[in-house]
Amino acid sequence: MKVELLLKKLVDKLDLVNQKLDSLIELNEKILKTQEEFLRAGSDKNHFGTELKLEPDVMSLLSLPSSLRKTAMVLLKLEKATAEDLARETKRLRPVESAYANQLVRMGYLSKKREGREVYFYIESPMEIRK
Amino acid sequence: MRKKVLSIHSSRGGTGKTVIATNLAAIYAIKGLNVALLDLDFRAPSLVDVFSKGIREPVRHWLNDFLDGRCKAEQALTDVSKAYGLKGKLLLGLANPAIEAIRNTMEKSRAWEVTAVKKLFSLRSTLFDNMDIDCCIIDTSPGFQYTSINAVVSSDISVVIATLDSLELKALRNMLVELYDAFAKRTVVLINKVFPETRAWSSEKQKNLISKMEKVLKHPVIGVVPCYCDVLQAKRTSLLAVDMPFHPFLRNLEEVAEKLGSINEKNAEEDVFCKAKL
Repeated sequence: MKVELLLKKLVDKLDLVNQKLDSLIELNEKILKTQEEFLRAGSDKNHFGTELKLEPDVMSLLSLPSSLRKTAMVLLKLEKATAEDLARETKRLRPVESAYANQLVRMGYLSKKREGREVYFYIESPMEIRK
Repeated sequence: MRKKVLSIHSSRGGTGKTVIATNLAAIYAIKGLNVALLDLDFRAPSLVDVFSKGIREPVRHWLNDFLDGRCKAEQALTDVSKAYGLKGKLLLGLANPAIEAIRNTMEKSRAWEVTAVKKLFSLRSTLFDNMDIDCCIIDTSPGFQYTSINAVVSSDISVVIATLDSLELKALRNMLVELYDAFAKRTVVLINKVFPETRAWSSEKQKNLISKMEKVLKHPVIGVVPCYCDVLQAKRTSLLAVDMPFHPFLRNLEEVAEKLGSINEKNAEEDVFCKAKL
């Protein structure tokens, strides 16, 4: 009877070890996957596997080409805008603004999201990114 | 006057930015316009001292608090119109002079600066749309500093205060190209503290000086203000537009105020001053 009890305890412990090993294997797989994503995306991704965001502060804007700087400045003012909103402010053509805004998204200065039929460009609050 | 934000900036310190900013604000408020005057010189706050006679209650919220998200824009503004007997409103956004606050500003991250410039744009909407303000004047810190560039970016017109010091003119020329032209800002230069003898000059001679400076700086010069010993010697707490309203310094500044009011920042073709200059 006593041996049976000991064996049961041993099996329980082994189960626990097994569960922990499974968790470790799962975690290791996640790490490997993230590393692969990071290597594939090069400098476009950071080590958390998320899009790398740059802060469009005024000093950084000074280093941008004037065409892109104009779009970024309008977004600082409007906070959130479609390519059409941007074009209205900059007095450039909508497809031109769309191209510039998308370039700023690729560079990591802006984010974009779809709301219904409209695509909005915006500056993600860097303070929130940090949190 | 069309609603506008004016940033008062310079390439170096000691050009008289604060005296110009405070008195321009007072001139507009005396005329009956509602004005907001913001102190964005967080490293060397001065408006709290200049207006010490008019600030009757302890300041609860500073402009620092608004930019840090600790209070609303309305809470960070102190009304001094009654204290100075002004026809229009004069609201002050004061920078906190406490050493801890200054140190805190110096430690701000780039992320904070992005939030700050966005808050300055939102403040502009609050002032113009909700608080019936006609003109917002921002007194900045000199040179290339985050807060001053934030102020320049969020303003409609940048008024650059310069003196005839050759070293300063060189730095100014660089700043005009590297900063103002880069941000495509409507910029005018005001030459301050010009030799006292220019007071006796004919208007033609003064115009020649302006045109010479415009050629050097490649930007419109909105006025030339001669140096007055009594202005330099006046106490920091003296608001000249109120205390010495008939002083020739104020007459010079009133002309500048009128020209600034006529500038249409949206359309260069329409504005009276820049059309003649550009």
